[in-house]
Amino acid sequence: MAKKTYDLLFKLLLIGDSGVGKTCILFRFSDDAFTSTFISTIGIDFKIKTVELRGKKIKLQIWDTAGQERFHTITTSYYRGAMGIMLVYDITNEKSFENIVKWLRNIDEHANEDVEKMILGNKCDMTDKRVVSKERGEAIAREHGIRFKETSAKSNINIESAFCELAEAILDKTAGRESAENPERVVIDRRNNEKAPAYKSCCS
Amino acid sequence: MSIFKARVQEFENTLAKDEIDLKALRQLCSNGVPDVNSLRPLCWKLLLGYLGPKKESWSSTLAKKRSLYRHFIEDLVLPPGLKENGDKDILCDHPLNEGPDSAWNTFFNDNEFLLQIDKDVRRLCPDISFFQQPTEYPCDIVVNSKGERRLHQRVVPSVLKSANVERKGLGVTKINLINKRSEETYKAMDEGQEAHWEVVQRILFLYAKLNPGQGYVQGMNEIVGPIYYVMASDPDPEYREHAEADCFYCFTALMAEIRDFFIKTLDDSEGGIKNMMKRLSEMLKERDLEVYERLKAQELYPQYYSFRWISLILSQEFPLPDVVRIWDSVLADEKRFDFLLYICCAMILIQRDQILQNDFACNVKLLQNYPPLDINIVLTKAASLR
Repeated sequence: MAKKTYDLLFKLLLIGDSGVGKTCILFRFSDDAFTSTFISTIGIDFKIKTVELRGKKIKLQIWDTAGQERFHTITTSYYRGAMGIMLVYDITNEKSFENIVKWLRNIDEHANEDVEKMILGNKCDMTDKRVVSKERGEAIAREHGIRFKETSAKSNINIESAFCELAEAILDKTAGRESAENPERVVIDRRNNEKAPAYKSCCS
Repeated sequence: MSIFKARVQEFENTLAKDEIDLKALRQLCSNGVPDVNSLRPLCWKLLLGYLGPKKESWSSTLAKKRSLYRHFIEDLVLPPGLKENGDKDILCDHPLNEGPDSAWNTFFNDNEFLLQIDKDVRRLCPDISFFQQPTEYPCDIVVNSKGERRLHQRVVPSVLKSANVERKGLGVTKINLINKRSEETYKAMDEGQEAHWEVVQRILFLYAKLNPGQGYVQGMNEIVGPIYYVMASDPDPEYREHAEADCFYCFTALMAEIRDFFIKTLDDSEGGIKNMMKRLSEMLKERDLEVYERLKAQELYPQYYSFRWISLILSQEFPLPDVVRIWDSVLADEKRFDFLLYICCAMILIQRDQILQNDFACNVKLLQNYPPLDINIVLTKAASLR
């Protein structure tokens, strides 16, 4: 059985310091679950989720990267193909916030010029350990003209809306071009064991 | 005699000789070391060259190395502000002293990589509880230092306690203390005790201190993990007691062979990770052009999966007992990392039917989350590829 599983394919990338919760954010979004016991990401990892936005099935192909400097040569090679980048810091870790500037520079160097970006201040459930105020997060985002959200993968705050907002921004951008293009990719899934795509509408 | 008993007997005979025939030992180990007595920890020590083939040298080697390791702990795992030679120069040195000789300066620099180690050892092998358990043999000078020599204590962010003060009606004041989270599983132990992950943290810290050109790179925790697990599970209590020191030297020996994988500037060198991935790719092309072409057409590059496979010697791809079994074969091989590439190639070939059917996404998933299977099938296939 051949079926068209999506109308558009968006490639997203998660970057940020080690331990800020990139893998947990992705796991929450793709599997709607949380575990604090993830092994560290080495190199690059990958997840897929299909969402529906404005009547279009959009397949999000999300790449999760290792945070440590050593892996940058490996991970920056993925920047080029990304249409959206989530830049994550940890609100309980000052350093991870200071490094946002470094990550932005990385994006400038390696990603497409028109890549959509969003800054996420993760672990916002840990109020008793917060060291970076929401205002500071908002300020840096404003300064660079980037979207911003505070999230918690653990308490499931803003995760889905963050991805959907980023996807929508990309959709806005592609809308002009897309009418000419046919969705050129058709997937034949004979195994049929991929999880049924979540066609629920998000960002309501 | 059962086949298993006969195998154990063969190991014991080989290990009973005054001078171990390493070639014979390699041969035996390549088919897996039986999980009895102290066979595996002893064989790994021999295969990694920590112990020499002459048995009479063992006790002095072990005594020497273990005592040296103890000195490393004494000299390098220090409370804040203490010089590496043990002096405390209170008059000239202070936390704001940025001079190169300042013990405080070293202390703060060390804490940078220590923080990374801390994050990683607390997520080592989360699917088994071993690393969260207390060790029977904690390091006395560390666990009885009132926390001063506990490495993770240095990188705990200090948090100001806060409370909500509520006033109701006629001046009745209620203070709601904010609850502390308590579900942390990789938690530190009380004075006098330490968990296995704390021991691993110390090993990695000392390795980084003693190999400053390399420092600590994520993934090293996954290399030290299986070695420590094997050493610390030795049924012989005398060996188990020194698992930390023995593991440190075995880890150092293994790292000497694979350190290029962990150094960014060597990525393009012959022993670097990119070259290894390229060799795997060429091997696949030679063995199965169809699969190779399929992955290539899907733009599914080897670095999507084999970067981790190779640099971590497959330690993240299989459950720990299987990893240990794979390492028996890899460590036993004279051309260790050639054999590792054969194993990686076998893993792809075993999934060929799937790969030829799947789309890009399913194939990345398949290779990044390799399905569970009898590990001997992979190893047999790998051996047949040579």
